[in-house]
Amino acid sequence: MTTTEHRPGEQPVGLSADHLLRQLDEGLPAGEIPAALFGNEDVYRHELRSVFGRCWVFLAHESEIEARGDYVLRKIGEDNFVVVRDEEGGINVLFDACRHRGVQVCRADSGNTSHFRCPYHGWTYNTKGDLVGAPLWRNAFGGMSKEGNGLVPAAKVASYHGLVFATLDPSAPPLAEYLGGMTWYLDLVFGLNAEGVEVLGPPQRFVIDANWKSGADNFSGDDYHLGTLHRSVWEIGAFPVPFRENMLGYHIQASPGHSLSFSMAPTEDEPGPKFFGYPEELTKTFDTSRISAHQLDVARRSRVFVGNVFPNFSILALPMTEDGANHPPTGILTIRTWQPKGPGQVEVWNWFCAYKNMTPEQKDRAYKAGLGTFSMGGSFEMDDTEPWITVSRTGRSVAAEVLDFKLNYQMGMPGIGIAKRVEEWPGPGIVYWTRYEEGVQRNLFSFYSRMMQAAPGQWPDFTFDDE
Amino acid sequence: MNPITTKVRAGSELHCEVVDWLDTEAELLDDGHEARWLEEMVSREVIYQMPLRQTVERARGAGFEEHAFHLDETYGSLASRVARNQTLYAWAEDPPSRIRHFITGVRVSEAEDGLVAVRSNLLVMRTRQEMTQPQTFAGERRDVLRREDGVLRLYRRTILLDLTVIGTHNLAIFF
Repeated sequence: MTTTEHRPGEQPVGLSADHLLRQLDEGLPAGEIPAALFGNEDVYRHELRSVFGRCWVFLAHESEIEARGDYVLRKIGEDNFVVVRDEEGGINVLFDACRHRGVQVCRADSGNTSHFRCPYHGWTYNTKGDLVGAPLWRNAFGGMSKEGNGLVPAAKVASYHGLVFATLDPSAPPLAEYLGGMTWYLDLVFGLNAEGVEVLGPPQRFVIDANWKSGADNFSGDDYHLGTLHRSVWEIGAFPVPFRENMLGYHIQASPGHSLSFSMAPTEDEPGPKFFGYPEELTKTFDTSRISAHQLDVARRSRVFVGNVFPNFSILALPMTEDGANHPPTGILTIRTWQPKGPGQVEVWNWFCAYKNMTPEQKDRAYKAGLGTFSMGGSFEMDDTEPWITVSRTGRSVAAEVLDFKLNYQMGMPGIGIAKRVEEWPGPGIVYWTRYEEGVQRNLFSFYSRMMQAAPGQWPDFTFDDE
Repeated sequence: MNPITTKVRAGSELHCEVVDWLDTEAELLDDGHEARWLEEMVSREVIYQMPLRQTVERARGAGFEEHAFHLDETYGSLASRVARNQTLYAWAEDPPSRIRHFITGVRVSEAEDGLVAVRSNLLVMRTRQEMTQPQTFAGERRDVLRREDGVLRLYRRTILLDLTVIGTHNLAIFF
């Protein structure tokens, strides 16, 4: 009997991340993705470092921490970070670990405070993360510098339209460069008027036995699943655009990794919902104060916007109702993150947003419509989680490994279906007309592969070669 | 609910009626007769809510949000959920979960305006397909029952779960 040797970090059994990423690179041009990416443990360990340990990730909306001292506890990968507004109004993202012994210093999900005190020995930090004291300081630490012993901040923090992102990698490009072409599309959702958006309450959190990439994949523009998985919602009148009609629109690879999709009629004067179904009294306030006339026009014609900012931040705006018999569909806006919690678990964080200038009644209607459809108890989302659980089960199966099981991402490739590349389009990115198309998801996985294989300090391109 | 309420002793006629009502309700829900439950036991003016909860410091209380929810339902939206489950495409509950409601610690108060306030402890166990470990929801229900045409109906329900992060893939079941 021989002894099998394993290099450090390599799995004793199962396929390695290297092997699966090679398969991904080979298969992607043909629209094939190895199923094991959705469950393999080695892949997951690499994701925590190469994706979540490096990329800009969404943490909070500025409206959650409006007052000085307001804080929320959030995650980058599996790790806790305090997002806190300091006494000067700045936003800090601090690793929730005391510099003395690594103990959690923030033990509530949200609150308002002037300081964080470690429960172990009492090291105390202000809202900038600076160490300000500890019990009997002179006896214990007199002569030691407080400077350099503060809570460790994320490498970079930045906001875009009030959306707070952070990265742990000092070599990360500025947020706007990382978002690339996606900024044009984020503008036309979050910058529709001068007031902007706010969140309606803290996020819902729920845990599914699924892989985080299923959420990112779905929100990159999986419109085709509506006709089967969500067929029940038409029968109860929750969504006003018929399935076939709703497949019209654009699939857009905004820039490497970031994808989105618009449901849009072929003609400008179609009678269907405008501006994601928001009420006319509100849409009258949408203007070009922060966006171009082109962006405003695209938003006006949009029935649905759905998109994903790589890796795990998704946005959805569309007309919905929780009670079709009594309330017509109205625009809702949800933002969510797919927080990794193991190769086979994801924690969904789900916020509902509203434009700040909406009336209390409009906000209430939008909140109820959103909660009744796109939440864990909502008529749409309750069905989504069913298939994702089994995607992940397939992903961690021995059968997928030994049978070399590949998932089909071929919709809309040359010669397949009716989707066609569009050249005339006012915004950035690679654009297809009609949403029978999975290039948006191939874009997610193509950038994913490059991030997973990028050497430390190196970054993939943030623009397409053939745009 | 009128704040002037009188505690109703266990074993009294009203208390027995309420316990009976809760058991009947649990039976209908556990047997999958949610349409009958809605039709026969729920007021057309019901407000049925599961508030969102956060971990907060003791000084801030139990952490339940006043204006944010996991569920915030009216009769119309509950009817919509029931109708959805009866379509052929309600994948979330077809095949259906096996659920079991355990209701204990029933405390009843009667208000001057005839409304009946009920607090009870709730344990819901749910299994699906080949699961052997059930998903569990422990918490408390704060109900208000109202007598309509002589029959008690669910007028208000607040479900206060012991969880801040919900460990289940959906809330497609009724509490």
